[in-house]
Amino acid sequence: MSKENAIEVTSLKKTFKVYPDKSNSVKEKVLFWKRNKYEKKEVLKGISFEIKKGEAIGLIGKNGCGKSTTLKLLNRIMYPTSGKIKVEGKVSSLIELGAGFHPDMTGLENIYINASIFGLTKKDIDAKLDDIISFSELGDAIYTPVRTYSSGMYMRLAFSVAINVEADVLLIDEILAVGDVNFQKKCFKKLNEIKYSGATIVIVSHSLDQIEEICDRCIWIKDGLLEMTGKPKEVHGAYLKSMEEDRRRLSEDMKNAENSDVYDRESFCGRPVVRSGTGDVMFTDVNITDKDGKENTLFKTHDTIKVTYDILNPKNVKEAVVYVRLYRDDNAHAFGTTSVIEKEGLMKLEGRNKVVLTFKDIHLLDGNYMVDVDLKDENEVAYDCIHDTIRFDVYNTEGRTGMCMIDTDIETC
Amino acid sequence: MLRELYDYRQMIVSLVQKDLRGRYKGSFLGFLWTFINPLFQLIIYTIVFSNIMRMGIDKFYMFLFVALVPWIYFSANLQNGATSIIDNKEMVSKIYFPRLVIPLAYNISCFVNMLFSFVVIFAVIIVTGFGVNIKALLFLPVIMIIEFLLATGISFITSALTVYVRDLKHILQIISMGWMYLTPVIYPPTMVPEKYRTLFNLNPMTPIVNAYRDILYYKQVPAMQTLIQATAFGVVLLVIGYFVFQKLQKGFVEEL
Repeated sequence: MSKENAIEVTSLKKTFKVYPDKSNSVKEKVLFWKRNKYEKKEVLKGISFEIKKGEAIGLIGKNGCGKSTTLKLLNRIMYPTSGKIKVEGKVSSLIELGAGFHPDMTGLENIYINASIFGLTKKDIDAKLDDIISFSELGDAIYTPVRTYSSGMYMRLAFSVAINVEADVLLIDEILAVGDVNFQKKCFKKLNEIKYSGATIVIVSHSLDQIEEICDRCIWIKDGLLEMTGKPKEVHGAYLKSMEEDRRRLSEDMKNAENSDVYDRESFCGRPVVRSGTGDVMFTDVNITDKDGKENTLFKTHDTIKVTYDILNPKNVKEAVVYVRLYRDDNAHAFGTTSVIEKEGLMKLEGRNKVVLTFKDIHLLDGNYMVDVDLKDENEVAYDCIHDTIRFDVYNTEGRTGMCMIDTDIETC
Repeated sequence: MLRELYDYRQMIVSLVQKDLRGRYKGSFLGFLWTFINPLFQLIIYTIVFSNIMRMGIDKFYMFLFVALVPWIYFSANLQNGATSIIDNKEMVSKIYFPRLVIPLAYNISCFVNMLFSFVVIFAVIIVTGFGVNIKALLFLPVIMIIEFLLATGISFITSALTVYVRDLKHILQIISMGWMYLTPVIYPPTMVPEKYRTLFNLNPMTPIVNAYRDILYYKQVPAMQTLIQATAFGVVLLVIGYFVFQKLQKGFVEEL
């Protein structure tokens, strides 16, 4: 192993056995020995890389590409099927936090137990105790049993222990979502300190921003193989492009699939949308304006919003029902109605080329909202249904919170 | 490997503490159970074998007690030590540490329990005026360590195998019961028919129980042959256990 390397990985392979029907008892192993057949699933197909001492590395890739497996192998939780892993120095992991916490014991006692699992001696722990407690911001709660902790407190304590283990190599899996924003900032600061003190860091994350913030280099794993390595910005660019291509290919496939009901027609919405229907009547464009017809996407509570769709009616469909739904961007359903409810009937389409929705005096509060629209016949057979056609933002200046405005009177008597 | 185990000594200490403290937490009599359980076994066996199936052994309760306590330690470790890895599944599948720590820590906590029981043995010895031979007593720690090595080797094998074959636990309960009757715990080895003696002596627990009884009941230094035999069994099983464990532990996380 070269002196300047902290980690050397050579043609690393990992195969998992996938049992369709797993048996763990003697009876089953004897009686149903045929069931013990398994399929081999090759997760890592031969990866080699080197990480220098003091380097911070990001591992990225799609779900199931093998990045977490790589991290577990580096951590010696699992062993490779073939290939070599050499890691120099003491390894600490922020893979699963709070392992070995005992709910009936106090935070303090759990610090000792948890830190001992990382291989610290009592003397080491005594020396770091103050740092750990102050980092966790638990104060006097450290003397109460862990079962009384909120999940945030629990994670803070676990993180404080793990990050204060002075390791030469620190492995992190998607955990920088601990606690509130302030605590996260503190964690980042601490990570940077650890980095500058000369430790080697390997991070697995879906947050490319986090990786760009800390890492010097990024390794992209694709389908169990090393696809690219280099500066985070460059690798991320290529990675995002590839993800986009995958997405496009997926929607192409859907379009080409026979009798497919879901497809992505030319996307006038500015992004791929989920769309279904026979296509006898089709939406072809959308725009959003205020009540005077001026294009706008930012509205105040009580404003009026006009959404106009252009439609194409090649088969001369005479009438249809219009369905409208509003969702907030966290998929909360804010409002829904149909032309049957609002106009008591079908909407005339013959010779018309626009559908105009006017939301008067909106009672929505702050948030980003999207508009779904459907055209269906009287038997609910869909002509064209689109999810998330256009988005708009709403804000209110009075400081009201929640999703919708309710006329409220407060008085004392 | 030894070096690594040494680095993780604090973990072993923590696990033992946690186990000893957690064992009786929330139970009414708490730590007293450590004494009550062997005491009741002692009373039952003494009633049966001094009054019903008379063995004709002088001070049968002492004869039995000095062998029963080491046996209870061994069988507790045999039966419950087997599930120690599975019981700590959470930790094993999430964090790296030398896996040997877990069965080892469980074994130590059983061992510490035995030491507490020995306090009761000595209390009985003093109260009844049974008396001790100081020279023989020097061999007590030796035989304890030998038994510990044997128990460690066996728990390495059983705890690792149980990960792969979950119902080993139940099989071990039966084995443990049979093993007790094949070990001279409730009867003297001289009762075993001559023609089965050789076979009988292949039981690694036989020389150990004999040695305990020599030291505390017969108040004599155990025969060298007994000690050598016990040590040989202990060391061989420890080595086998170690290699079996190291071989099997590579697949733990995938099997758990």
